[in-house]
Amino acid sequence: MSHTIDCRGMACPEPVIQTRKALETHSEITVIVDNETAVENITRFAENLGGSVAVVRGADGIRIVVNKGGEPAPLDAGRPAAAAPAGGPLVYVLAAETMGRGDAELGSVLIRAFMHTLTEASRRPDVLVMLNAGVKLAAQGSPVADDLKALEAKGTRILACGTCLNFYGITGKLAAGSVSNMYDIVETMNGAASVITL
Amino acid sequence: MSADGGYAVILFDSVTQCMWAEKLITKTSIPYKLIPVPKNISADCGICLRVALADAAAAEATLRGVVEYRGVATIPGRE
Repeated sequence: MSHTIDCRGMACPEPVIQTRKALETHSEITVIVDNETAVENITRFAENLGGSVAVVRGADGIRIVVNKGGEPAPLDAGRPAAAAPAGGPLVYVLAAETMGRGDAELGSVLIRAFMHTLTEASRRPDVLVMLNAGVKLAAQGSPVADDLKALEAKGTRILACGTCLNFYGITGKLAAGSVSNMYDIVETMNGAASVITL
Repeated sequence: MSADGGYAVILFDSVTQCMWAEKLITKTSIPYKLIPVPKNISADCGICLRVALADAAAAEATLRGVVEYRGVATIPGRE
């Protein structure tokens, strides 16, 4: 019989943390969640372990049966699942919709110029982490959406914090990147060769 | 808008002029992109508006007499 954990009402990244803990002592668990972001995050977590999920949506919640494949990685394993160059990936953190403090309009001009230049640079970040208002840069209609798509096409991974997307009401409106969570973001930053916060 | 076929850039003396010009261009249907001034051009303001070569005249007409701009430079396409 599957060990069940009820993660309804828990804010991201708690469902993933609870899933990881439970998988330390059980090889199969059922996680009950109440939002799609948690489903995506737990699915990606399980697949990174080499495990699998089965999702059943019901009126009172979403039941995810998680089967672990191998050993769950300890919290500070470091390297993200995707292959990183020796020394770790180059990570940029965008924690605002603009660049720099002072005039907001100038900040908007700067971030747009920056993104354009980045697409043409010979060295580009391996990962972009978007936090707080920074997630708006990755949303449909954003002035840098096309540049972010171009960066993705060239191999940059873009992680947009799910809690932030939800806060700004733009979940499901990403033009580039994927919905992420603080667990992935912390692992990415800890495993990076360097982290540059814009 | 691909830039490989060459493009035009509208240059300014100040960021404020560039931002004001952008507001005007936005009201037209001319596709543009705000980018740093290409390295081989010198300008007081490091930001310019890039438009297609075919739209340069229309863009200038939109700005003329309303907002000051330094000039329009043409960047040839890559072979």
